[in-house]
Amino acid sequence: MIDPLPQTTVDAVVQALLRVLPPDEVLTSKTDRMNRARVPAPFPVHRWGERVPDLVVLPRSSAGVAHAVKVANDFKIPIVPRDGGTGLTDGAMPERRGIVLDLKRLNEIHEIDLENRTATVGVGINMLKLNEVLSPYGLIYPDDPASYPCSLIGGRIGTSGWSLIGSRYGHSRDLVLSFEMVTPTGEIIFIGDGGGQKVSKSSSGFQLKHLFMGHQGTLGIATRATLKLHPKPEAEFSAFWAFSDFDTAYKTVGALARAGIATFGGAVLFDEWKVEYLRRDDEAYIPQPSSVRALVCAAAYGNEDETRAGGKRMMGIVHRLGGRYLGDEISQGDWAARHDRYATPLHGRTLNGQAALMGWHCEDAAINYTNLPAVRIAWHEIIERLRRKHDLFDDWGMFSYTSGNTGVDYLTEIDVGIWEQHLKEESWLAFVDAKREIAAVALAHGGSISACHGSCREGEVDLVPQELGGGYDVMLAIKKVMDPNNIMNPGKYGLDRAYA
Amino acid sequence: MTLDANGNGSGESAPLDASPPTPTDEFVGQWRDAAYNCFSSGHKFCREVCPVTQVTRNDTWTPTAFHANVVAMDKGELDIADIAEDYVNCTQCGACELRCPNTLFTGDFYRFRTRTVDLVKSVRTLAVDSGIHQPKWQRWNELTDQRTHEPVLGDQPVGQDKVRDWADGLGIPIGGDDILFVDCEAAFYRTSVSRAVAQLLQMAGHEFGLMEEQWCCGGPAAEMGYRDQAMRFARHNLDNWKASGAKRILVLDPHDYITFTEDYPRYFGAEFDLEVVLVIELFAQYIREGKLTPHVPIERTITYHDPCRLNKRKGVWKEPREILRSIPGLVFNDVDRVTQWAYCSGGGGGLPIEKPELTRLISASRLEKAKEQAVDTLVSACPWSERPLAEAGTAHGIDVVDLHELLAESLGIIVGGQRGAQ
Amino acid sequence: MTAYQYDRENTPPRAIKVTDGAITRFDHVYEVAPELMQENITQQSFPNWDTLRIVHSRAAYLAWMHSHWAGKIVSGEELLREVIAEQVFASGDI
Repeated sequence: MIDPLPQTTVDAVVQALLRVLPPDEVLTSKTDRMNRARVPAPFPVHRWGERVPDLVVLPRSSAGVAHAVKVANDFKIPIVPRDGGTGLTDGAMPERRGIVLDLKRLNEIHEIDLENRTATVGVGINMLKLNEVLSPYGLIYPDDPASYPCSLIGGRIGTSGWSLIGSRYGHSRDLVLSFEMVTPTGEIIFIGDGGGQKVSKSSSGFQLKHLFMGHQGTLGIATRATLKLHPKPEAEFSAFWAFSDFDTAYKTVGALARAGIATFGGAVLFDEWKVEYLRRDDEAYIPQPSSVRALVCAAAYGNEDETRAGGKRMMGIVHRLGGRYLGDEISQGDWAARHDRYATPLHGRTLNGQAALMGWHCEDAAINYTNLPAVRIAWHEIIERLRRKHDLFDDWGMFSYTSGNTGVDYLTEIDVGIWEQHLKEESWLAFVDAKREIAAVALAHGGSISACHGSCREGEVDLVPQELGGGYDVMLAIKKVMDPNNIMNPGKYGLDRAYA
Repeated sequence: MTLDANGNGSGESAPLDASPPTPTDEFVGQWRDAAYNCFSSGHKFCREVCPVTQVTRNDTWTPTAFHANVVAMDKGELDIADIAEDYVNCTQCGACELRCPNTLFTGDFYRFRTRTVDLVKSVRTLAVDSGIHQPKWQRWNELTDQRTHEPVLGDQPVGQDKVRDWADGLGIPIGGDDILFVDCEAAFYRTSVSRAVAQLLQMAGHEFGLMEEQWCCGGPAAEMGYRDQAMRFARHNLDNWKASGAKRILVLDPHDYITFTEDYPRYFGAEFDLEVVLVIELFAQYIREGKLTPHVPIERTITYHDPCRLNKRKGVWKEPREILRSIPGLVFNDVDRVTQWAYCSGGGGGLPIEKPELTRLISASRLEKAKEQAVDTLVSACPWSERPLAEAGTAHGIDVVDLHELLAESLGIIVGGQRGAQ
Repeated sequence: MTAYQYDRENTPPRAIKVTDGAITRFDHVYEVAPELMQENITQQSFPNWDTLRIVHSRAAYLAWMHSHWAGKIVSGEELLREVIAEQVFASGDI
């Protein structure tokens, strides 16, 4: 456990900050600090006090961010960037206390370029709110995570986010063209494809954009981003099909992903555990017959003629494979509910079937199509063992989502309910062990620990050096060069090793 | 005493071997599960619809933080003195609790939904009961207690002797089956609204009277944490209605509608057996039935502001639009009710009293949205929203009008009264 | 126009069991079987207007989310009918 900074140091840091920032950008109250100490992933509540930052900075400009970082660097104290705080790998959690730098006030729309189809925004803006502004222009920024109504652009850059319709429009890394970034020593630099702010492909110099996306705030702080815009789709197609067995559903999702349909937005496979979970509350599934054991859903976006053609081709594929279309009402309703139905505490059930308020842990990995069935079985076994040991956990089933439009790999997640209210150190550590085992299964099957959230939480983070091999040493070297005093989100990804 | 999280009071009882629970213990016992229901999902879908968060971008004042603080209190990390001031930053618009997936997608299924508004009221009550006051709220409620009405005219007196002045010349009787209840803002400040409503009822042939001795509904006191005072006022009004044999309360103000359909039932249970009627729903019905037929063209380009307490907290959005579409001459550039979950005037929950600078930012933001619709008029249906919106409207040259005023004008009624302080 | 009245709002329609885990009181609206909310958490007092407000708001929100993303929705039922019709045509069954 890291002790809070001595009050004299906090006072000195506050004084230094107030020389470069207005008073309402420096926050020190208990509630200011405690409410920036966690992310939505289940959390060792009994250890909340160990992660509370010493103070918070809430700046309004890139220059303000740079000022705060310089102060942290001068004092050699941790500074942790935090945007939406909706990530699931603790990236925005101040593991070593220090300063939390909250970016939500950087939410301006600086420019909408209608000719080149770009928007330049502060990273504190939310995608849904941005799209409300873009809609009258017939444009959309189609980055669609489950957290779409609440996550912010900065977090999408910091985690290199994954989008539900990434098979159609790409993921955050494809949609963010460039960004301004404050380095751990307080310089403001520009990161993009080459030197142009609005260039989508360059071969000039090192390709730094990939490096500075997904580092979980350990290498710098993005403050302003230029985004690629698409025409707002004329039409949307979404369909849900029921299957009496997992294998046919698995075969079907593969066939959809490999079909080469241009408007294909993505497809999702729901396994037996997930169907049972949905039957607990979802009005679409409560009345379904018990023969429904697996589901597939797919979506398409684009011009109306193309979306109709793509949708029809999908309907034909699934019809031939024996899937039963659940009808427009269920299909359209469930697709529109895609951001809302994944994390409901009351869906938790103890072993005797009673409802209990459980937090949602989503363990996600990138797995190739051919390995999905084996990973599924191994993961469910891990959670079943955990559940039998501590009646605080629940298996909420698995989804597998297409990551691209060829069907090569899938974001595969197992959702675990965790009764945080009654977590103790022993049960928390059992959970951490289970997370490590889950990550090990992903690696044993040639996958990556995470397709979406990142892999720097307790448990899985131990296996990152194994996953990356020699690449991990490169990470250490880069970290030390960029952040000589190890102030930028220290403790994450085991990067302390760079300073040993 | 605090409000209860379950609507009917099912807080945890104290362990047998412990000393009597403190008010804070009782509060945490009542709110622990509700707090974990937010904390353990951590969606934060509340954030971008919250009017305060939208203008401050400060996570400390988000609905999810308001719940997380209770978990921290449960863990002994915070106490009421640490949190009381943060809970000023809420208009009680209800956007957060409606948008929360734990309400919108599963609240009805589990009969357990997010209740941020009740939580905020409960924390404010605990603060007041613990001797922690916000200075302007304390003064406001002292004056309300003295005058039996809110001091909506500042230093200018309001009181029992003036509460029916708005009705001068309208010949409205006292008492009867149906009582028109006029909130403090419409009784003293924007009297054009109450005059419009009364004359619309008269034109439709709806018999009604005024209270013999009307006090403030008590809702604002409850919103600011002065619950004992709120209950005292509520008791007075209920006794007065019962004594006069009233059967039905006609309500023009959405805030009163909340107080009478949520607070009073909590205070009095089945004893509160009167009907409560929102006049906006009544007028839509009268137009449908042909009892009222707007015919005087109103040449304005308008958009409609969904009052939070109608749209978000009660699901009333259809009738106001029905009325507006019945008025000839209007060009109506509507913004749908779901988009408007994120809109607010900033006028509720005592915010304009304690933090007028935040109210100004919120109402300015609302007028920016109205401006995007290229309108000359913003129509609301809530007197409490109309003061901050009208002030913000001046900057954009946008007139702020009450829907009842507009309807009355289209029926050829000379409304009279005033749209602000004299 | 529906007036609020205490007894009316606090008397829910009769519950009908749908599955082991769910009941229904209002048309097409499901609720958890109340026996599952006994040990760890208890249900709140829920006037009828509140249940219906949430149900209607959910429908409005889902429709809103579609229009937020696209101009119109392509009907799967319509496409499936076309697929089946063409299949039948191709098989020579008509």
